Amino acid sequence: MSDEREPSSEVSRRRFLTVLGTTSAGAAVLSGCSTEKVEKLIPYLVQSEDQVPGIPTWYASTCTECSAGCGVHVRVREGRPVKLEGNPDNPINKGALCARGQAGLQGLFNPGRVRAPMVKQGGSWKEISWDDAIAMLAQKVGAAGGKLAVISGAGRGSYSSFLGDWAAAAGGRVVRYQPFDLEPVRAANARVFGRDEIPAYDFGAARYIVSFGAEFLETFGSSTEYQLGYAESHGFTQGREPAKHVYFAPRASLTGLNADEWHAVVPGSETSLALAMAGVLLQQRGGSVSGMPSVSVDEAAKATGVSAETITRLAKEFAAAGPSLAVAGGIGSQTAGATELCAAVNLLNFAAGNVGQTVRFGADLDHGDGFGALEGLSRSMAAGEVELLLVQDANPVYTAPRSTKFGEALAKVPFKVSTGLYFDETAAACDLLLPSHHALERWDDLNPRSGHWGLMQPVLTPVFNTMAPGDILLKTAQKAGGSLAKFSAATWEAQLKSTWQARFPGGDAMWRAALARGGMYQEALVAQVKVASAAVAPAAPALEGTGEFTLLPYASSLYFDGRGANRPWLAENPDPVTKITWQSWVELSPDAAARINVREGEILKVTSPHGSVEAAAYIYPGLRSDVIAMPLGLGHTEFGEFAKGRGVNYLDLLGPVAGPFIPYVSVKVQVERTDGYRKVAKTEGNTRQLGRGIAEAMPLAHAAKGMTVEQSAKAAGHAAHEINTPRELEALQGWREGQVGRKDGEGRRLGNYVGEHPMWGMAVDLSRCTGCSACVTACYAENNIAWVGEEQVMRGREMSWMRIERYWEGGTDGEPVEARFVPMMCQHCDNAPCEPVCPVYAAYHTPDGLNGQVYNRCVGTRYCANNCPYKVRYFNWLAYNQKAFPEPLNLQLNPDVTVRARGVMEKCTFCVQRIRGAQHVARLEDRPLKDGDVVTACQQACPSRAITFGDMHNPDSAVLKVKQDPRGYHILEEINVRPAVTYLAKVLHSEPVAHAAAGGEHN
Amino acid sequence: MRKSAWIALGAGSAAIVALAVIERPSGAQQPAAPPSVVLAGSDSAGFMGPRQPVYFRHDIHAGQYQITCQYCHYSVAIDAEPGIPSMQTCMGCHLIVGGSDSANQLQIDLVRKSWNEKKPIEWVRVHSLARHVHFPHSQHIKGMGPNACATCHGDVTRMPQVYKVNNINNMGWCINCHLARGVNRDCTACHY
Repeated sequence: MSDEREPSSEVSRRRFLTVLGTTSAGAAVLSGCSTEKVEKLIPYLVQSEDQVPGIPTWYASTCTECSAGCGVHVRVREGRPVKLEGNPDNPINKGALCARGQAGLQGLFNPGRVRAPMVKQGGSWKEISWDDAIAMLAQKVGAAGGKLAVISGAGRGSYSSFLGDWAAAAGGRVVRYQPFDLEPVRAANARVFGRDEIPAYDFGAARYIVSFGAEFLETFGSSTEYQLGYAESHGFTQGREPAKHVYFAPRASLTGLNADEWHAVVPGSETSLALAMAGVLLQQRGGSVSGMPSVSVDEAAKATGVSAETITRLAKEFAAAGPSLAVAGGIGSQTAGATELCAAVNLLNFAAGNVGQTVRFGADLDHGDGFGALEGLSRSMAAGEVELLLVQDANPVYTAPRSTKFGEALAKVPFKVSTGLYFDETAAACDLLLPSHHALERWDDLNPRSGHWGLMQPVLTPVFNTMAPGDILLKTAQKAGGSLAKFSAATWEAQLKSTWQARFPGGDAMWRAALARGGMYQEALVAQVKVASAAVAPAAPALEGTGEFTLLPYASSLYFDGRGANRPWLAENPDPVTKITWQSWVELSPDAAARINVREGEILKVTSPHGSVEAAAYIYPGLRSDVIAMPLGLGHTEFGEFAKGRGVNYLDLLGPVAGPFIPYVSVKVQVERTDGYRKVAKTEGNTRQLGRGIAEAMPLAHAAKGMTVEQSAKAAGHAAHEINTPRELEALQGWREGQVGRKDGEGRRLGNYVGEHPMWGMAVDLSRCTGCSACVTACYAENNIAWVGEEQVMRGREMSWMRIERYWEGGTDGEPVEARFVPMMCQHCDNAPCEPVCPVYAAYHTPDGLNGQVYNRCVGTRYCANNCPYKVRYFNWLAYNQKAFPEPLNLQLNPDVTVRARGVMEKCTFCVQRIRGAQHVARLEDRPLKDGDVVTACQQACPSRAITFGDMHNPDSAVLKVKQDPRGYHILEEINVRPAVTYLAKVLHSEPVAHAAAGGEHN
Repeated sequence: MRKSAWIALGAGSAAIVALAVIERPSGAQQPAAPPSVVLAGSDSAGFMGPRQPVYFRHDIHAGQYQITCQYCHYSVAIDAEPGIPSMQTCMGCHLIVGGSDSANQLQIDLVRKSWNEKKPIEWVRVHSLARHVHFPHSQHIKGMGPNACATCHGDVTRMPQVYKVNNINNMGWCINCHLARGVNRDCTACHY
């Protein structure tokens, strides 16, 4: 523990006090003296025009954390990127950015990156020069004589086509492989519509959304884009019926928890359900799809376990809404029959007339060659047909299940080269490492859908001794000569630029405009399709093994395919569903847990026919009791200090893959209790609201009538929770009035408070919030929040200024579980309990309505945190700042925000640095602050657009309009702290479960 | 632990006071290590303020030749940071201006050498605010005019070597001025 104490070199609270003490003691004599160490000021030689110290430069670029191709704006200060934000010009993400995208910066500055070219000699790694490395690769390419193969995880774009040409010229072949490639979706589209592509889904236009296990708010396809659309259609707007969302899957993923109805179907039975719904729909509307197998509602009910009435009701609702949207193809429902399911859903969409409306072919979203292609290459490798293998941006040793024996096949290849960024499992098995530039260090482009080209440009000098992958190929080609000599471009940058100028008209002006906008965006034409084949096999595929439970590995919304595991921001960000950080876990339903007599944290041994793993149990009510679920992405054996040896890899339980994709749901497992126990590092406190009215909700009918939360509860016949006693009401008198126009208040005549000030406030619309946690990572990035690690999270010491609270409603006595998500940050109370208890005035109220926290005043009594009813104050128990930013992660730190040391209390500041920054700019421009000048980090990132921020004294401000919504309420209003954050109650398509059980849930 | 820290703190400050009384330093900042460049002729060791690698004379540039502050510190009016002039700014004049006497020529040669070798001069910082203070220079220039620099930095036109005139790291220095001018004294104006 002692090594975590602060060293004396940094300015910390105690050091600060020392300085303060000496200067005041010696002030009379030592006027103008400082005890600080000598600092150097190093000027630029030639200052570039766009770099002014203190003023951020913004570059447009493209996110490469998944294949969606969202646009980003990179905030660069003094040559260092410090924050990623969504690019509003980009039509895919329209300015929003998910947690994984935000954490791209920790990929750039990751200490686990390969820092220089290295060669394996006698089992150990030796650093070599780039010239030697390129020469070595060129020699091997020449010697391979066409027995060359490339596995590339790079997205579609100029680079991937260049790579294809390069490999072809060398006589080799390329397999583009990305996990979660939606192979079943493509195969089904090829079969049903004759188009082997992933269409664009328009969630924003859909009036009724049915998902058959597709986690479209997490890891399915272009999830940020879908979430933007989903919030538009499913979020509540007065005067418009919101879209209804139904989710069929054995496990309620985050997407399922946001659904208005979740039905826990038998794994693999969704196909019959989709066909039955299509049948009812056709019956309802008339018409037919020739060749579509007919599945009766009763058959579907028998297969799925959902009642016939429910299926008929949902199918009729689906038929009545238009346009609607059905999606399938998620990882959590990827059985061996996933293609059949996707085909059935295609027919359902076609029958409902959604194809061409909400399902648009022609967009052709980016995808790889599928697992089948990798498996084929793996067989060639095992057969000794590959002499030289090049792996880029892919980690197949980890992402292919162990029983597919990819690692063994790889070992048969005489010379393996990795051009990946990180020292991952695949790199460790290679012979030569040629580390690539990160996407923010190089010129590149991506073509995530047809007509859409996103550009990337270097925003900093490379962190390590790396090279752009395009330059590696060019230099190797020029060195190797022969058939490769035709690749003669001097640099990859030059080649990319000339490719662009050949692709688009407009020359240099086009190039500059594209760089500023982040790319060239054209809407793809919608392709008309017709049904080529309606053949679907409705039967659920057989599962392997004899265990009691069906294994359901699912894609973690933060780690994705495992590539997020080396980013502390994602590890510390609690899983949106379970709220677990850092660890792996096994989910069981409460019934199953009771059946095998297991409690949370007890280590379970899960055995499949192919292997066994051990992990702690977590009891999750959103799960069928014959299924156990596990998140993928952890259990790395390499991949840097943050990922290596953490958690377990559930892919080890899967069997060999026969088809074109990995059937994640394909085995039955045996679950046994062991004697072990491991405390689960989770951030959920009490999972129930206990009548506190934290996450309010109201039925759609009430919301449509413009009722308040109180009126809604009364109308439903439930006692609303008591706001105030008459005596308290008396004390409260005049508050509401004063809150709006507090001009003549006493405070306004006093010192600092003289004159007009803004009054900052926030509103959060819970009917839009999906709990995705993008805001949490954005807050970490913006505010230099230190991550604390698993052990500290177990002690409840996480530092997340912004957290997403998740409460369960129902879920007992057979009723379905409902989740309520509440983003919780400092409420900036007008009557803040933390302020009067601070003995040193570190917590105080600013004239503009902020609850200020002055770090250099704070002496760490923690009285404020004890007195905070929202538990949003976080204490630096240890010198977290010393551990959280190991080089070069420290380069990401935002220079506008103080890094807090040990012994200091901290909390959400409403991004005060952004407020002051905007005020300074406005003052320099001699204008008043406009609404929208200040955008907080969480608001900027939110892919649901649930957060509004602004000046409540400005009568035209957006935030004031949202706050006046009748659904608005304050959390814990009865304690009279006058919060500046207003929440708008969630809107339910059914009766809220909480009110039905009001008062009865104090267990 | 906490108690002993306070005791140490008290003892430390007492010792420093004692030291100060005995030694009576000139009030100048003393760098930890002597600068690597030894000045010939016009040895600046006798002046207040830390010795710089190049004997840059504000009294000549800003005093004798009356070059305005913002000619070199160009970003002070638009930005929180005043901007340390790039070597290119120096060479804008000193490509031509070689110095009137041998002592000056020696110093200008150092600047030219650094330019030619592409190694920027590493100046010793004189004014350094604590990291938890945000001081937007631009706001102060905006409010007090382009010649407000002297308010905090002293009259550099008379300084052969820049030294710290005012203890800018003492919050009272800031607050007194803000009080006198009746401007914002909110903590989060500077601390965040």
